[in-house]
Amino acid sequence: MASMNIENVGKVYGSLAVIHGVSVEIPDGEFVVLVGPSGCGKSTLLRMVAGLEPISSGDIRIDGKVVNDLPPKDRDIAMVFQSYALYPHKTVADNMGFALKMRGDDKATIETRVRKAAEILDLVPYLARYPRQLSGGQRQRVAMGRAIVRDPKVFLFDEPLSNLDAKLRVQMRAEIKELQRRLATTMIYVTHDQVEAMTMADRIVVLRDGRVEQIGSPLELYDRPANIFVAGFLGSPSMNLIKGRIRAGATPSFETDEGIVLPLNAIPAGSDGQPAYYGIRPEHFTLGGPVETRISVIESTGSETQVFARLGQQKIIGVFRDRVEGNTDQVIAMTPNPALVHLFDGASGLRLG
Amino acid sequence: MASTPYASAGDEDRTGLWSRRPRFMTWSLLIYAALILWAFISLFPIYWTITTSFKTAVNVTQGHLIPFVDFTPDWKGWRSLGLSPDTISAPSTVRDEFVRRFLNSIVASAGASFLAVIIGSLAAYGLSRFSYKFLWMRNKDISFFFLSQLILPPVVLAMPFLVLYKHLMLLDTLIGLILVYTLMVLPIVIWIMRDQFDTIPLELEQAALVDGCSIWGAFLRIVLPIALPGMVAAFILSVILCWNEYFFAALLTSSNAKTLPVMVASQTGSQGINWWSMAAIATAAIMPLVLVGIFLERYIVKGLTAGAVK
Ligand SMILES: Nc1ncnc2c1ncn2[C@@H]1O[C@H](COP(=O)(O)OP(=O)(O)OP(=O)(O)O)[C@@H](O)[C@H]1O
Ligand SMILES: [Mg+2]
Repeated sequence: MASMNIENVGKVYGSLAVIHGVSVEIPDGEFVVLVGPSGCGKSTLLRMVAGLEPISSGDIRIDGKVVNDLPPKDRDIAMVFQSYALYPHKTVADNMGFALKMRGDDKATIETRVRKAAEILDLVPYLARYPRQLSGGQRQRVAMGRAIVRDPKVFLFDEPLSNLDAKLRVQMRAEIKELQRRLATTMIYVTHDQVEAMTMADRIVVLRDGRVEQIGSPLELYDRPANIFVAGFLGSPSMNLIKGRIRAGATPSFETDEGIVLPLNAIPAGSDGQPAYYGIRPEHFTLGGPVETRISVIESTGSETQVFARLGQQKIIGVFRDRVEGNTDQVIAMTPNPALVHLFDGASGLRLG
Repeated sequence: MASTPYASAGDEDRTGLWSRRPRFMTWSLLIYAALILWAFISLFPIYWTITTSFKTAVNVTQGHLIPFVDFTPDWKGWRSLGLSPDTISAPSTVRDEFVRRFLNSIVASAGASFLAVIIGSLAAYGLSRFSYKFLWMRNKDISFFFLSQLILPPVVLAMPFLVLYKHLMLLDTLIGLILVYTLMVLPIVIWIMRDQFDTIPLELEQAALVDGCSIWGAFLRIVLPIALPGMVAAFILSVILCWNEYFFAALLTSSNAKTLPVMVASQTGSQGINWWSMAAIATAAIMPLVLVGIFLERYIVKGLTAGAVK
């Protein structure tokens, strides 16, 4: 158990900078999820924390101690790889006990610890098997077992669930979260799946192109995204971002590029006429009201209905609990809830107000 | 009964099966015939060598082939080596020489293969894991450079090696032979082992590093055991190549370090060829390889086909 400080860390491959000064502070016992699109540098950052990749600039501290030049074996971290990286020539028990053996624990200790971890992960019947004799989900659990037997200072996970099918993924998501609560160990978890990030994290770090876009709790990020990237990245279906201008007037409003007027409650001072994005989540529309859209497609999952429509020329999505019916090009009225609108600057994409 | 639709359908099915069956059988007959023919072609030289070691001069020249029918087996060839039942316990200089050559062959091939597998594995690991740049050559070019050594006929190296070995006083020594053989099989070992290491994911080693290994520890505890089948295959292949090597053995050795192939070839005396003793030595020389073939073949196949992991 330990705190972890990532201070202005950068990574350069040759002349290509892939991480530009990332800073994250992780208190002891926190579950932090690094999330971002493919190629944004999540794995690179995690591997720098693990010591598998040299740090080009900045500092990484574990419990206040700079570990930049410490080899992985001296950092007391455990890592679960996307491919699981189980040793094919060792049994499940030996895979899980390997780190303990390297540390010099005696046989009896290794056995009890491996057994305990195997019990937590339901792996007891498979201890004598080889990795090739296991299913994907079981291998994934062995990889986790290999990490938890050690009781390390920090856990690192690199997309550990991406090779599992959807159902198993949901189940493992809950199990990992529960495990982390139980062990109360600091954990850094990398994923490109925003649902995983939202459901598991104490705090989310959104990365893009090697830069931090926003750090905060899942709901902070969901409710107050700092910019249009975070707004669009978190949430599924993602937030509607409608281009247009802010209008002051007697009651503030928003005028889209096509001149359609959308409701607003309040606007930042002196923002009349400012180009902006009107951000509204699909579930924050109500059927009816003054705003008219044209239906493109309606899809129903049974529990909810997704209405894909056009507002002028801009595509929007609304999600409703009620059943909605209608044909393509038919007009349907759905109006944003003005209390739940996000405004972003039209040029910088940063949050207004 | 034949008029009911069901029965007729059944009949059709059955005739369909029968009409397919003969074709299937002809095919397998043809395939087996071809296989038997090929096995015969492959095995005949061995059969011929072994039977010849039991023939007398007359039987050899008259081309008798089948023992007990064509000719009466005789221990002549083996007796000339001191290896027939009646001479095996008596002292024999020829047998002593044969044993020396046999041991030389074993030491030279095993020693060279051992060295080559160690050096070659290290080189291959480097080529598979790190990027090198030597002049204009990248990893791919370096690998090809190693392999290209096999293209050059060894004759080209005859003179340089003679001169070099003379100065180093390595002529007619087993050490000298081991060194040339190591050089000879190294390209193949590197090629095989690089393939092996390439199939081992980098993440395995990184997992080992995180689990508390040093770089050498990860190599010795994780990479090496996984690559072992490949190493065994490379070792066996090297042994076979060295065992059969004639050119350098004939060139660089005279009395001390002479190996079996040279001894076989030297059975052509001034009064013609001693077919029987040559056949006896040849039989003794191929036996170890036959055993290797029978018992270790699966290791070679396993090592060379291994998608080592998964
Ligand atoms: N060895 C390397 N040399 C040069 N560039 C590299 C190297 N490794 C990674 N990169 C680059 O660094 C960037 C970040 O890679 P990284 O693997 O961290 O992405 P990621 O966020 O983990 O993506 P994914 O979700 O696809 O795993 C990528 O643009 C990649 O091309
Ligand atoms: Mg990655």
